[in-house]
Amino acid sequence: MSPNRVSRVQLLLVMLLLLVLQFYLRPRLWDARISPDFLLIALMLFSMRSSPGVAAVAGFVVGLIADTLTPARFGAATLAHTLVGYLGSWGRSVFFADNILVNAGFVAAGLWVRDLIVLLASGTDHRQLITELTLYSPLQALTTAGFSLIVLLTFRSMFSVRLDA
Amino acid sequence: MLSSSDRRYTRRDTVLFLLCFGLSLFGLFSPTSWGYGVADTLRQTVLSPLVWLQTQAEEGRTSRVRFRQVTSERDSTAYLAQFLPSLRAENERLRQLLRLSRRLSTGYVSAEVLHQPQAMDGRTLLLSAGAREGISVFSPVVSPEGLIGVVLSVSKRSSVAMSWAHPEFRVSAFTVSGNAFGVVAPSNEGRNGEGALEFRGVPYRDSVPLGTMVLSSGLGGVFPKGVPVGTVIGTVREEAGWERVYRLRPAANPGSAAHVLILVGGRVQDLRTAFPGDSLLEALRLDSIARLRRADSVAQAIRVARAARRDSLLRASPPQVRAPVPQAQRVAPPSPILGGTPAAPLPGAGDSTP
Repeated sequence: MSPNRVSRVQLLLVMLLLLVLQFYLRPRLWDARISPDFLLIALMLFSMRSSPGVAAVAGFVVGLIADTLTPARFGAATLAHTLVGYLGSWGRSVFFADNILVNAGFVAAGLWVRDLIVLLASGTDHRQLITELTLYSPLQALTTAGFSLIVLLTFRSMFSVRLDA
Repeated sequence: MLSSSDRRYTRRDTVLFLLCFGLSLFGLFSPTSWGYGVADTLRQTVLSPLVWLQTQAEEGRTSRVRFRQVTSERDSTAYLAQFLPSLRAENERLRQLLRLSRRLSTGYVSAEVLHQPQAMDGRTLLLSAGAREGISVFSPVVSPEGLIGVVLSVSKRSSVAMSWAHPEFRVSAFTVSGNAFGVVAPSNEGRNGEGALEFRGVPYRDSVPLGTMVLSSGLGGVFPKGVPVGTVIGTVREEAGWERVYRLRPAANPGSAAHVLILVGGRVQDLRTAFPGDSLLEALRLDSIARLRRADSVAQAIRVARAARRDSLLRASPPQVRAPVPQAQRVAPPSPILGGTPAAPLPGAGDSTP
């Protein structure tokens, strides 16, 4: 088995682990509005290492899962995650994405943008939009970025990120 | 998977992105029922393991929460169970207060005793009723057992009562038998740290037996008549042959009183019936026994009298008519007017006495 194939399998295992964490660990954590979004971590880490088209497809799948399991307007999460996945892959060529803190920042920014798109696409009223974007989304972005740091540090060999940042 | 150096934005990526973007917009603007249908299908098929996983997690979380609730409830129950005896005692006292309030013929206000963590608590009591409830200075304070004290000062929502343990407390009193009058005051010689009372000013010639209950006499106009103050348990001293001072066991304990009644609404002549104390109950019991004995003796006397009358009637009757006479032979005696002779009275025809 080639090293490239091994890294792909390992990355797939980490994605599966994040999927399990999303549905098994997240409900046991704090308030759902500020607990980390493991699916978004998986999407961002995957999209930053993939081509924009594949990242968009991954975002589409993750969004479809979110739309299926959450009572938001169907299609809003799919749209948001598709855009975030595509932008995450595109942003890697713009920013210095091998830095671990940049990865975490990408995750936080991606979550905030995702929330912004979902809220706008769902037709949320002005007051709730402001509250969500200024209070809950930043908090959830912080926790998600923190957990993404833990994941990156734990599986650093698989993500090939620089640890001397 | 592409490395950063090999990454190229190909047309395939753009097509994939536009395809996903278009599908997302289609899902967003499609009819709601379509979206729900797709979501239901995905939940029941592909995503069912994830839903099951999340269900397990939620159940685990709620189980933990439930376990914590049950544990806390068990702890609370165990904690409350420790206070059951005291709660029962308090319930009993409240029931006694209710019974007392029914027996009282005067107005009253119930109040809670707000005990303070101080050594002098018990001499003065802070009560939870004040001028707003109609309390005034010198209102008597009683408990189901007897006299507690008198209100010293009144504020809007609370009042301060001077209990019998206060050195300045005095109440005019008399024995339940009515043969001795005096003044009850707190004693300086309490036994075992408990407060005691002295029944002072009792004339030397009036001896009071042990166990006699002492009631307030109503003299002075502060306390109503008939409220139990204490029970004679001994003699303290005799003053030069003209006065005896008795030691009393107080009827009520201000230190343990949690609820009291403050009597309001003018003077009442006699409250003895509201406080059926031990000696009074004993007296009532003895009185009822005497009444029963008297009733028994009257009934016995009636029975004796009837028996004596029956004997005398039998003795007065001739021996031949003592035998029972058949009904057919019981004919009316011939009237003397018609020339008949008077017959002897028939037994059974005129004896209606048993």
